[in-house]
Amino acid sequence: MAAHATLPFSCSSTLQTLSRTLSPRGALQLRRGFLRLPSHAALPRHPRPCCRRHVSASAAASPNGASADGKYDYDLFTIGAGSGGVRASRFASTLHGARVAICEMPFATIASDEHGGLGGTCVLRGCVPKKLLVYGSKYSHEFEESRGFGWTYETEPKHDWSTLIANKNTELQRLVGIYKNILNNAEVTLIEGRGKIVDPHTVSVNGKLYTAKNILIGVGGRPSMPDIPGIELAIDSDAALDLPSKPEKIAIVGGGYIALEFAGIFNGLKSEVHVFIRQKKVLRGFDEEVRDFVADQMALRGITFHSEQSPQAVTKSNDGLLSLKTNKETIGGFSHVMFATGRRPNTKNLGLEDVGVQMDKNGAIVVDEYSRTSVESIWAVGDVTNRVNLTPVALMEGGAFVRTAFGNEPTKPDYRAIPSAVFSQPPIGQVGLTEEQAVEEYGDVDVFIANFRPLKATLSGLPDRVLMKIIVCATTNKVVGAHMCGDDAPEIIQGIAIAVKAGLTKQDFDATIGIHPTSAEEFVTMRNATRKIRKKSTDQVHNAILKRNFTWHTGWHTWKIYFLRIICFELDLSLLRVFYMFY
Amino acid sequence: MARKMLVDGEAPVADGGQYDYDLFVIGAGSGGVRGSRTAASFGAKVAICELPFHPISSDWQGGHGGTCVIRGCVPKKILVYGASFRGEFEDSKNFGWEINGDINFNWKTLLEHKTKEIVRLNGVYQRIITNAGVTMIEGAGSLVDAHTVEVSQPNGSKQRYTAKHILIATGSRAQRVNIPGKELAITSDEALSLEELPKRAVILGGGYIAVEFASIWRGMGAEVDLFYRKELPLRGFDDEMRAVVAGNLEGRGIKLHPGTNLTELSKTADGIKVVTDKGEELVADVVLFATGRKPNSERLNLQAAGVEVDQIGAIKVDEYSRTSAPSVWAVGDVTNRINLTPVALMEATCFSKTVFGGQQVKPDYRDVPCAVFSIPPLSVVGLSEQQAREEAKGDILVFTSSFNPMKNSISKRQEKTVMKLVVDAETDRVLGASMCGPDAAEIMQGIAVALKCGATKATFDSTVGIHPSAAEEFVTMRTVTRRVGPVSKPKTSL
Repeated sequence: MAAHATLPFSCSSTLQTLSRTLSPRGALQLRRGFLRLPSHAALPRHPRPCCRRHVSASAAASPNGASADGKYDYDLFTIGAGSGGVRASRFASTLHGARVAICEMPFATIASDEHGGLGGTCVLRGCVPKKLLVYGSKYSHEFEESRGFGWTYETEPKHDWSTLIANKNTELQRLVGIYKNILNNAEVTLIEGRGKIVDPHTVSVNGKLYTAKNILIGVGGRPSMPDIPGIELAIDSDAALDLPSKPEKIAIVGGGYIALEFAGIFNGLKSEVHVFIRQKKVLRGFDEEVRDFVADQMALRGITFHSEQSPQAVTKSNDGLLSLKTNKETIGGFSHVMFATGRRPNTKNLGLEDVGVQMDKNGAIVVDEYSRTSVESIWAVGDVTNRVNLTPVALMEGGAFVRTAFGNEPTKPDYRAIPSAVFSQPPIGQVGLTEEQAVEEYGDVDVFIANFRPLKATLSGLPDRVLMKIIVCATTNKVVGAHMCGDDAPEIIQGIAIAVKAGLTKQDFDATIGIHPTSAEEFVTMRNATRKIRKKSTDQVHNAILKRNFTWHTGWHTWKIYFLRIICFELDLSLLRVFYMFY
Repeated sequence: MARKMLVDGEAPVADGGQYDYDLFVIGAGSGGVRGSRTAASFGAKVAICELPFHPISSDWQGGHGGTCVIRGCVPKKILVYGASFRGEFEDSKNFGWEINGDINFNWKTLLEHKTKEIVRLNGVYQRIITNAGVTMIEGAGSLVDAHTVEVSQPNGSKQRYTAKHILIATGSRAQRVNIPGKELAITSDEALSLEELPKRAVILGGGYIAVEFASIWRGMGAEVDLFYRKELPLRGFDDEMRAVVAGNLEGRGIKLHPGTNLTELSKTADGIKVVTDKGEELVADVVLFATGRKPNSERLNLQAAGVEVDQIGAIKVDEYSRTSAPSVWAVGDVTNRINLTPVALMEATCFSKTVFGGQQVKPDYRDVPCAVFSIPPLSVVGLSEQQAREEAKGDILVFTSSFNPMKNSISKRQEKTVMKLVVDAETDRVLGASMCGPDAAEIMQGIAVALKCGATKATFDSTVGIHPSAAEEFVTMRTVTRRVGPVSKPKTSL
């Protein structure tokens, strides 16, 4: 608990010392379970390296993979000290006694080819600073709410951007220090500099070569911007988290979670915010109803959405202000134009091509279910593999990698029912399937919806609402998805995620007593389905009838029925009607 | 149609038709409204009686919605919201907010808005009842016999109604301790509707109501002194969490007086003089007795129907909420089982299903979650560490996590969030969870769903966290804090 006491915030999962003991296993089991040989076909460019090092290493491998076989400087060399890299390095060292080194570039708030920092995107340019700015910007809404509760201000509260940014950066520096301590305490060798893979067992940092039995790539991703004229005038999310001054009027291009989170932040700090989205709606991939709801709520708080607009150019006028030209219009007067148009894996200049590590068309490293790349001794976890790009998922992948490579326990990360949050204002929490996905997968789905004005809003008089949705598979009654948009949604969904992960049914939810008065209690008191979707489209119903008929009739009846079905499909008629017409 | 659905083996009734109603409900609070509404949905002919609306309850005043809506959960939570803003203002400074000049809190504005909301909810409840086809009768109900209710008005007029079944859901009322000057003190009813906000408040009691009002008044700027008999407040909760709450209350500026009772109140020019059993004296504008609640069973003429009560006046019921008179039933606080709104709702639903729905259903009291809306709140579900050790056959694993919430890293507020899981070492089942910190009540609801269905620690661990949240800590507690053996309950000669 010593480490715990120094925890800066709630992501102590990253920091806790794990002392779980693993049951020892025999070498035989290990070989069967884990040391599967990759087929040569999987390694098109560099057939399985049968260099001296590898052969002798395999022969001398100790059961737990954490051998000190002297051939290598390290058992594990990790490139990138973000969430996944730190987790894996620490566990490999503390749980399995592996000799581990990790390299990371020097700290800077904005990532580049020369700069990064211990902690990675999550701590320095993602989850943490973003959430701190969300906290800071949310106060303006709270000041507004407070009036309905009897609070008055002699003068309007004003926000000082530089105080917030300075305090945020102090906190980030502190976290970098904590990460350094974590690695030191875990006896992981920290090397500062940019790592590059030289061969399947060698990494070069600042011109110095280090050999390792296993190499883990956890270099993450970076914001990507489209190649349009004037793009150099725009900023990305790295820069937006560390601006020298608050934007007066900002254009945010993108409809994903990063765009919405920054829209909320700047709107809360009283910038004029315009969001440009290519599609009709924000947050592609989220539940359709949630997509509509969050955009409505954000618009009510003062954000202007421009939908179905693709950016074409950014220009600067004489007064120094920026204009954004889209396929539909040109809007000017922006102090800042931000692009939140996706992130790309950091796989350039890592030496991956030379050593034969396969990448997909987006530059993401291709890995198998155990996070192993196409080169047997090289592994990759986190955003660089572009699976589910979330910190806790990188942690899970890092942990599973260590069990597989060092713990004699081949472990696949489990991607089922991963909850996630969008820290927009109001925020979103979700786990499992959207209504659309559930209908696709199960056909028969019951949807329970609560859309209500929370108690706080009835007093504050603000138009805030809460949306909650439970998606139930009608045949099994299992809750396959839960969605919420409203205050505290991310906190509320975490516990719900345990229940969804455990495969609980709607009855299990109903049997749980509410905590009164909360918003969350709504999740256990939704008694009546808002809609029951039955995919038994006419043809399914009629298939059943037809099936029955097949057992009764033979010969031309059968053909008649087949014929009927074809006609029906062709004419797109209701099968039932035609069926009864004939008889 | 209505009568046909009645299922009743024991009531000595040949035909429901000989009564005015199938069900007569006394008291339109959480349990009564739910019971009448669900019974009506099964086709029963239902009437419900309730006293006229007033924020402060008395023998002649109550209101549709009952304690929860008018004098409990809802107004209390509204005041907690109002009081929480002070902490937010303090925290906002390090996030860059500058508030020049005074911030003022106007109690009257809040009170006015709160009353408006409660009047609205009172109307909502009346509409719910009407829409369900239930007959509303205003007045005080009492029993004449096992099938007859008399509803009386303050002017002395009385009206009798017969019913096949009678449901008593009259709730409870705040109780005062018997010390000299007790009439100078107020109860939670009045505290929710004070004319003036106290500058100096003294609270007697260590239960959730005492703790909540301490937080409310402190948040609104009052000096608060909290007196309670035990070493820690919140008896019955996990000891470790009790200590955390006590620490937080102190951290927010509330003066705690553990192991101390009040012995006398007297009026002085400056306010109410309070004397403690330790000989201390202080003066306060308001003295609140939060010393328990008493079931509202006295004026029901229960003995006329042979309905038994226990020594504190709670109506005795069986597992189906049936009293000692077979046609009379009781749910909610008047039965003093678990005195929570959602529990009364559950009891009432089970009652309706049992009596009118043709299914015998017992309320399930296992893993009932609850929350204390102190600032910051405490929320728990399942067993405390002490209870788990008493009930356990084998070892118990305790996982605790005490951390600085992320917001505090900037605000510099010195207040840790504490979470705790109690796990059966042999079965890996999570037996109890508790949390004290911001959003605890909201976070605990989902945990309660998991617990209710017997989730194991392994299930918790396999759930991916939502980052960055406080709640993710519940699924990332990997290291056992301690392993403890069972303790046998000390046997007493009683």
